[in-house]
Order: sequence, then structure tokens, then C-alpha cells
Amino acid sequence: MRRNNLLRTIIIGLAIVWSLWQLYPTFVVGRQKKEAENYLVQIERETGLNRDEINEALNAGQLESRIRQRLHDKPADSLQALLKEAASLIALHDKISKNETKTIKRGLDLQGGTYLVYEVNLPKLMRDVAKNKDARFEEIMKKLDVVAATPNADYFAALQASFAEADIRLNRYFGSRAQTDAQILDELKREADDAIDRNLEILRNRIDQFGVSEPSITKQGSRRVVVELAGITDKNRAKNIIGKTALLEFNLVKDPQIFQDVITKIDNLLKRDLAAKPEVGTAIDTSVTDSTGASGKVSKDKAVNVSELFAGSSIVPSDTAAASSDSVQVDKDIFSGNPFISLLRDVGRSEVAVPAQNVRAVERILNNPEVQKLIPPDAEFAWSNKPEKVADEQYYYLYLVKKEAELTGALLTDARPEIASGSGMIRQGEWTVSMQLNDEGTRIFSRVTGANVNKRLAIMLDNKVVMAPNIKEKIPSGRASIEGSMNAEEAKDLAIVLRAGSLQAPMQVIEERTVGPSLGQDSISKGTWSAIISLILVMLFMAVYYKLSGLLADSALVLNLVMLLACMAFLKATLTLPGIAGIILTIGMAVDANVLILERIREELRAGKTVRASIDAGYDRAFWTIFDANITTLLTALVLYQFGTGPIKGFAVTLMFGIAVSMFTAIVVTRVVYDYVTRRYNLKALSI
Amino acid sequence: MMQFFGETRIDFIRQRWKAIAVSAIIILAGLVSMIIKGGPKYGVDFLGGTVIQVHFPQAPNIGDVRQALADAGYGDIEIKTFGAANEILLRAEKQEEGTAISDAVMNALRQAFAHNPPEERLVESVGPKIGKELRTAAIWATLISLALILVYVSFRFEFIFAVGAVIALFHDVLITLSFFSLLDMEVNLTVVAAFLTIVGFSLNDTIVVMDRIRENRRIHRDATIEQLINLSVNQTLGRTIITSLTVFTVVLILLFFGGDVIYNFAFAMTVGVIAGVYSTVYIASPIVVEWHKKAEVQKIRRGVKVA
Repeated sequence: MRRNNLLRTIIIGLAIVWSLWQLYPTFVVGRQKKEAENYLVQIERETGLNRDEINEALNAGQLESRIRQRLHDKPADSLQALLKEAASLIALHDKISKNETKTIKRGLDLQGGTYLVYEVNLPKLMRDVAKNKDARFEEIMKKLDVVAATPNADYFAALQASFAEADIRLNRYFGSRAQTDAQILDELKREADDAIDRNLEILRNRIDQFGVSEPSITKQGSRRVVVELAGITDKNRAKNIIGKTALLEFNLVKDPQIFQDVITKIDNLLKRDLAAKPEVGTAIDTSVTDSTGASGKVSKDKAVNVSELFAGSSIVPSDTAAASSDSVQVDKDIFSGNPFISLLRDVGRSEVAVPAQNVRAVERILNNPEVQKLIPPDAEFAWSNKPEKVADEQYYYLYLVKKEAELTGALLTDARPEIASGSGMIRQGEWTVSMQLNDEGTRIFSRVTGANVNKRLAIMLDNKVVMAPNIKEKIPSGRASIEGSMNAEEAKDLAIVLRAGSLQAPMQVIEERTVGPSLGQDSISKGTWSAIISLILVMLFMAVYYKLSGLLADSALVLNLVMLLACMAFLKATLTLPGIAGIILTIGMAVDANVLILERIREELRAGKTVRASIDAGYDRAFWTIFDANITTLLTALVLYQFGTGPIKGFAVTLMFGIAVSMFTAIVVTRVVYDYVTRRYNLKALSI
Repeated sequence: MMQFFGETRIDFIRQRWKAIAVSAIIILAGLVSMIIKGGPKYGVDFLGGTVIQVHFPQAPNIGDVRQALADAGYGDIEIKTFGAANEILLRAEKQEEGTAISDAVMNALRQAFAHNPPEERLVESVGPKIGKELRTAAIWATLISLALILVYVSFRFEFIFAVGAVIALFHDVLITLSFFSLLDMEVNLTVVAAFLTIVGFSLNDTIVVMDRIRENRRIHRDATIEQLINLSVNQTLGRTIITSLTVFTVVLILLFFGGDVIYNFAFAMTVGVIAGVYSTVYIASPIVVEWHKKAEVQKIRRGVKVA
């Protein structure tokens, strides 16, 4: 019994420590956000940029250059002052993004934001892919539009049925003459699935343009995409970003030599800039950790604070008060000689890998007007669209490409992943992507490939590099095959990207919710107040009605709330307004378990048992009652979670955790306290 | 020791028919009003359409709002104040592609109220197709919850207890729905969440009593089922009153201080909590009583046949 209690005490102690540790970031972020708010307001006022624009620039590392653009006609000292503010905000923003992954997320209804559900517009898609459209066709399609508007109706079955009814074979309007109805139907279904995948790919590629810390873009079922943008207040801007047609371009990659020259020039500029400040580099201590860079050679990288690193630099303005969170990976030996190059990792072939945490610093340097002057006028830097993982580190690739695109996605007619047959250069069984160009595309492509053999052509979606294959030979036929040690998944993705840039997938908004930021604030304060008032009232009542035992139940209740929030932070759950209601309800429900136990103990005392025996009997008898009652509530919460959308899901989550935690606090925690007290003092009477 | 009640000996079961009559009247009234109104008054979640909540610095004249909307070609929009007089709720029947409606409406209002600039606080726009889907999902969620409860309670107690419990839960949801229909309040997604919470809470209460019945059965072997239920309800009365009062207080606080957004949720909970406590004693228990009586009668009849 005694040892068992010791174990329980340890578990309880651990639970409390763990909870506080989980909640600490939430607490810190709250403070940092208040601080960031001051900077935001100031920058808003001075530049006239709105909140979303500032956030977007922050996420893309372009805040300073945006401010310079805005204030190019203002006196230099006011610009410098504001840039200092911006630097502090950037440092703070980095800290917040780091911490935010460990906090309880606030749902759209609490911080304002936009929730959109897109669905493939099947009727429009069918009309788009039909090869000829006459009056008969339109007549049948019109009837089908009704089917498309009814929930859970099988559109394709209806399509097949109506054409069969009209005694028309599908190949008259879709596919090719030789195909059977079944084959064509399969193809049409594939087309619909593909439309969703294409959109998903485009949206994910644009994700950082939203100016949101954690945009969420998910596929729901096979025909829908749900977009959640927390904190976005200008929904029309968001919709414009989402609704924009994808821009697929093919740009030539500049020669490696030119790339090297530009980087060296930037490096020298930074060095000169820093040489004026003797204290630079002192921030880096001499202890180094070995890590393997993307190049495979061992470099002595160390996380160093940007502000300290570039202290006093005019290229990377920093705030001396900025904390040490916006750190970059640099090798200090290289830094002292080559400040810019130390941020990059050489991987050869006219491209450079940049560790993910250095991206923003590099971006800040590249956006500096002085640095911009060093880039050839016909070229620009571009990042890869996805990070690559090498030895536990995420790397983005940096390219220097020609500004002018050679051809655009509009000239593409199709792109498919294929398995190589083994003819030609590549091994059998290797995945490739073949693309088909239209006549104009074929002409241009033939000229471009002919003139640039052995150069690289970057495939760019919305100005990010998806891939940069080498041009092996002139391609006159308009059928190109892209190779590059891809697996099936990568080939499929690339084909989707290529198609996304050529074919607009018709989508429509079928559900949309926007919550203004002020309403979110209102909801939070009201919800929080309700919770606090409820808690105080309930606790007061318990203390009065059950005296000291009531106070014990109260402390279990507080612990219950703390642990519930900690669980939510740990699981990165989203707190919604119904979620707050769920917490308040949990307060009510948690009291129930305590009341059941305490009432039982009273009964046993009345029956004339000793204090110890009454407590034991009370807990034992109440246990199954509490268990049964809670399990059933848990069942309803689970069903809610399964069926609910956003806010309702949030409610279900808090309810589930609330129940689990309240069982622990009511049954285990209070009991251990009783055991200790009764053993130490050998109570004759219980304050209950 | 502070106590509301000492040992009570109230005969709950004897008054069961009166109580059932009260329930029946409320549910019937609710059903009639629903039939007249053509179903519950669904919110945009279930019906499709657009709701826009607009906040004005000062309370605007509703007539002016109506005029401004009519001039913009939105004469059919339903307008009502919402909480405070400067919060206006607009509801349009249709959902146009995207935010066409809300943008047009807000522009019209901004022009008409240039000196009292309105702020768009909330837009909910749901297509008719989604509305239908949500409705089915809500009904399914409720039914599946009840089915799961039926299975679990049968497994832990006995089948007839489960039937009584589930019928009581149905009763709670129906009572709440009736109130909503009678008071012309909107049923939206959060209200459905409230229904399911009521189901959870009410069941909690029912299980506590049933647990006692099971325990008392072992102690008092020769008591009739009415006596057992009365005894059990009386024994757990203290706990029932305390818990439901706490939850009731909490829900009332939500109702008065929780803000407009969860007003409907809190209202549903308020009605549901009362219904939930009462249904344990007056709906679930009588079902068990009647069932047991029938079983006894059949036993006697069978006995007569054999003899």
C-alpha cells in the first residue's frame, strides 16, 4: 500500500511538472505576441502596409525590402530607424514561429480568419473535356447539373445512365472513337481526381504567400479541398491568391560561372560592410560541433545568432536587443573570410543548398538594394519549391535563372509519369515524366533545346523551381521526357505540377466562413470570463458544502484544467469557441466525480464506519459509477469527433481530454492525498 | 456537515404519470409547431445561405439599413438586431459563388453609413449541398451515439435499463428541440453539439441511479422494483441536486456572459440539463418499472398454465 502510493505520488508529480512544461511556450508566446503587436502597429502606421501584407513579407523574408520600396522618398535616418524596428520584429517573429509549434492553436473563430471549402465543379469539368458540344449534349448535361447539386449522388453513374437513355455512346463526346463506355467513364473519373490533385499542388506551392503562420490545406474525400487561413482578415486577397491560375514556366538556368561570380561579389560586399565594424565575429565562440553539410564534407557548423553575427551591418540591419532565437548555421572559420558563403553549402552544378534555418537570412541579404545591383539584369534568384532532407537537415536549393521564361505551361497539352522501357539512356524500370507540347510549344522548344544543349532548364511553378533537368539534346518532336532518378511518387507529383500549369481545374466555393478579428477577440474574452466565473462559483460552493474535503476537490479541479490545457498543447490541438464551452462543461462534469465520491464517503460515515474505512469504501463504490458514466460520455464525444467539422471537432477534443483527465484527478490524485493525511494524523473525524 | 437533504423518502414513482403527461404536452406542442413551420428552423449550416454579422459604432436605424440594402438590389435579406442594438444580423436565402453577396452588401452599407462605418464581423456562407450533407451527418451522429450507448449500457447493466436510458435521451433531445421550435430559435451545428452533450450529461445522471438500483437489488432481495427505484433515487438525490445545480449554474453563466456566438448552444444546454435530470426519474425509471411488472404478470400467467 505504502509503496504503491509512493509510485502514485511520483506519477502525479511528473504529471504536474509535465503539464507546466507543456504550457510554458503558450505563456511565452502570448507575451511575445503583445510585444510584436507594438512593432506591427508602428510599421503599419509608417508604411501604410496592411497587416496581411506585413505578415506575408515576414514569412517570405522580404519585410525590409518592402519597407525600402515604400519609403524610398523619405529621409534616410527615418528609414534606418524603421528598419531597426523591422529587424526587431523579424527576430521576434522568428521566435514566435519557433514557439508556436508547441502552443495551443486558436481556432479560426477565436483569432479571426477564413475557412473555405472548394469542390471540383464536375459539370464544368465535363464540358471542358468534351471534344464536341452540340445541342443534344448540352441538353443532357443540363439535366445532370441537378444531380451534381444533390449530396452523395453518384454523378458519373448518372452521366452513364443519361447518355445510355438517350442512346448515345460516350465516345461521341468524350475520349476516342475506339474506347468503350466503361473505359471513357474511368478516364473521366480519373480526370476529376486529377483536378483536385492539381489544385492541391498549386495551393501547397503558394502556401507561404498567405502571410499566415500555419495555413492548412487538406483534401476532404476525393473531390474537395479545405483551406483554413487563421488570422487572414482580408479574405478577398486570400481568395485571389487561391483563385489565381498557376503559372508554369520554363526558365534557363544561368551558367555556373556566372552564379559563382555573383555569390563572390555579394560575399565581398558583405565583407567590406562588416570590416567597418571591428566587433563583428566576436559573437562566435570557438567551440564547434561537427555536422555534415549537404556536400557530404564535414563542416564545423554552429548555430549563431544573426543579429550578433551581422552586428552593425547596414546590409542586415539588426536590433541589439534581439534575442538569440533567430540563429543560423555557419562555420565560423568560413564566416570571418566569407560572410555570405558561410550561409550556403556548395553542392556543385550551378546550384547551392541552403540549410532551412538560413533561408530567411539569405533572403534578407538578397533583397537588399545594394546586393540587388550585383545580380545581372537578365537574371534572378529562385528557390526550390520543396526542401530536401539530407542527414536530418532540411535544405532548400538556390538557383540563378534567366528572368525571361523560354516558354509557359499554356503550351503544354499533357504530362504523364511513365516507366522507362529500357531503350535509350536510362535503365529499365526507372520512372520518368513525359510531356507533350502543342504546335507552337514544339517550335519554341525545339529552338530552345537546340541552342542550349548541356544547359539546365528550370521548371518553375509560381516562381519556384520544381526541378531543373539537363538538356541532353535538341528535342524537335514536342515530346520530351524528364528523367532524374525519381520514384513513382515524385514522378506523379511532377506530372501533376506540369498539368497544373497547363489546365485550369474548375473549382467552386461551396462553403465559406469568415470571422473578423474583433469578433474573435470578443469571443475569447467572453469565453474566458465565463470559464473563470464558473470556476470560482463552483469552487466556492464545494469549499462551503464539503469544507476541507471540498477544498481538496477544488485543487483536483484546478489540476484538471491545467492538465487538460497541457494535453491540448502537447497534441497541438485547436482551441475553438465550442472548445471553450467544452472546457466549461468539463468543470461541471469533473465536479460530478468528486461529488459522487464525497457523498459516498458521507454515507459510509453515517453508517458508523471509521474514517479510513469510509474513505476506502467511498472510493471503491464510486469508482464503477464514475467509470460507466464517463465511458458513455466519451462515446458521444468520439462520435462527435468523427462527424463534426472544425469547431465541433474542437469541442469533441476538449470533451474527450476533459473526461480522461478528470477521472485521473478525481480518483487518483485526491485519494493519494487522503491516504497520506489519514495515515499521518489517524483522524477521528473527517472535515466533509 | 452541510446538507440540503437528510434521508429523503419521496415516492417519485407514484407521480410518474403526471410527469409523463407534462413531457408529452411539451413534445406535442413542439411537434405541432414544427409541423406548422415545416420542420425545425435550421440555421445556414443546415439550410445553405449566407449570414453576415455587421457591427456599427452607433446603433443604426433599421429602416435605413433596409433601404440601403434594397437600393443595392438585396430587398429580400432578413434583418435583425443581435444582442446589442448596434449589432445587425443579415441573412440571405441564397449562397452565390464565393463572397459575392457579402461584398455587395458591405459595400452598400459602407456607402450608406459613411459617418457610422460598419465592420464585417462574421460571414458564413454555406452551399445548399453542404447544408443537406451536414443535416444528414448531424442526424447520423445523434443516432450512432444512441446506438453505442444502447450497446454499452446493455452490456454493463441489462437490456431494459439501456432501453429506458436511450428513450430518456430521445426525450431530452425532443424537449430541447421543441423549445427551439416554440421560441423560433435557429438550430445550427453548435446546437447539435449541444444535443450530444445533453445526451452525455443526461446519461451520466441515469447511470448513477441505475448503478444504485443494481447495488440495492443485491441488498434488498425482496423489494419490488418501485421500491428499489424510489430508494435509489432518494439515496442519490443529494448528488443529483448538487451536480445538476453546478452544471446548471455553469450553463447559465455561459448563457448570460458567453456572448452571442454560443447563445444558442448555451440555451440548448440549459433546457437539456433540466430535462436530463428529470428524465432519469420520470422517463427511464417508469419504463423499467412497467417492463418488470409485465414480466411478473407473465410469470404468474405461465405459472397458472403449468398448474
